[in-house]
Amino acid sequence: MSRPTSDRDPGARSDLELMEHADGERDAAELAAHLDRDPQARAKVDAIHQIGELVRAHLELSADRVHDASFAAMWRRIDGQLVAPTTGVWARVSAWFDRYRSHVITGAVSAGAVAALALIFRPGTPDPGFPAVGSHVIDVRPAALRATPEIDALDTPGGSSTVVINMDDEDGHAAVIWVTDDTDPEAI
Amino acid sequence: MTERAPTRTNRPASRRPALAGLALAIAAALIAPRTARADVTADCEFLEISAKGGDKPAIDADLKPLEKKLKKPPLSTWTHFKLLSRSQKVLAKKKAEAIPLKIGSATATLVETVDKSKVRLTVTIDDQKGKQVVSNTTLVEAGDYVIMVHELPNNEGHLLSVTCK
Repeated sequence: MSRPTSDRDPGARSDLELMEHADGERDAAELAAHLDRDPQARAKVDAIHQIGELVRAHLELSADRVHDASFAAMWRRIDGQLVAPTTGVWARVSAWFDRYRSHVITGAVSAGAVAALALIFRPGTPDPGFPAVGSHVIDVRPAALRATPEIDALDTPGGSSTVVINMDDEDGHAAVIWVTDDTDPEAI
Repeated sequence: MTERAPTRTNRPASRRPALAGLALAIAAALIAPRTARADVTADCEFLEISAKGGDKPAIDADLKPLEKKLKKPPLSTWTHFKLLSRSQKVLAKKKAEAIPLKIGSATATLVETVDKSKVRLTVTIDDQKGKQVVSNTTLVEAGDYVIMVHELPNNEGHLLSVTCK
């Protein structure tokens, strides 16, 4: 822009005044009237308007791009916090379990109930070395009511002699089977 | 973005895991090997005892239930009684059960139960050489004892006590 000179028209306006007018900072009626009379000044004001519009539009477009990028990043962060990445097999299993947790628990409880019923109504093989629960049919009667033991069969191979004695006391009876080797000269 | 929780419209499909678990459990219960009901068993205790003479009586504390009988003739021949081994066995009807001993070996068989309070037992004892010492079948009340005594040289004895319930 040309600087104002001392030999210019006294009614002419400086470029600074024209820029202020174009920016809306100066709204003098006499300046508007001057523009109507001075086509060169009018052309300057129009050129300033066009440059201003170009700069403003460029800045708005830049601002819009930054705005969209920021929001996209923010949504990505929110999505990442809401849903864990389901890339691995274990992650998929965990996601499935999270989704169907209540159903899995219901199934497990049902299975446990069925297993318990099966155990109750289907007694298994007694574990050797441990008493089988619920499988006993033998009653232990009071000692006074018990019968004396009866030896049905007795065999002592090798010709050993035997003595059978029934002992009883308040704790019950005992059948004692005494075996003595024939070869022992000290035998009873 | 985020997965939606199951809605009412897909609930029947989402019940499948629970129903599948229930079906599996029922199937497992049905196809599980059906074991024969142990309608006749006896819970028997076997005490292997060594006996010898001595000045002062000495009976192991574990032999407390037998103490009165051990102090009576003919067992009072000895004064020292030591528990060599203890075995707890559930005998099934007509199934011979090996009884581990410190000296020799033994087998026991539940022949039958009588009047719901007696057991008929067959007990066999072999010595360390594998020679049979005694084989006997006795009908005894639950809670009572059968005591087999093998007299050994040097005034010592090898005893096997059996009681069932």
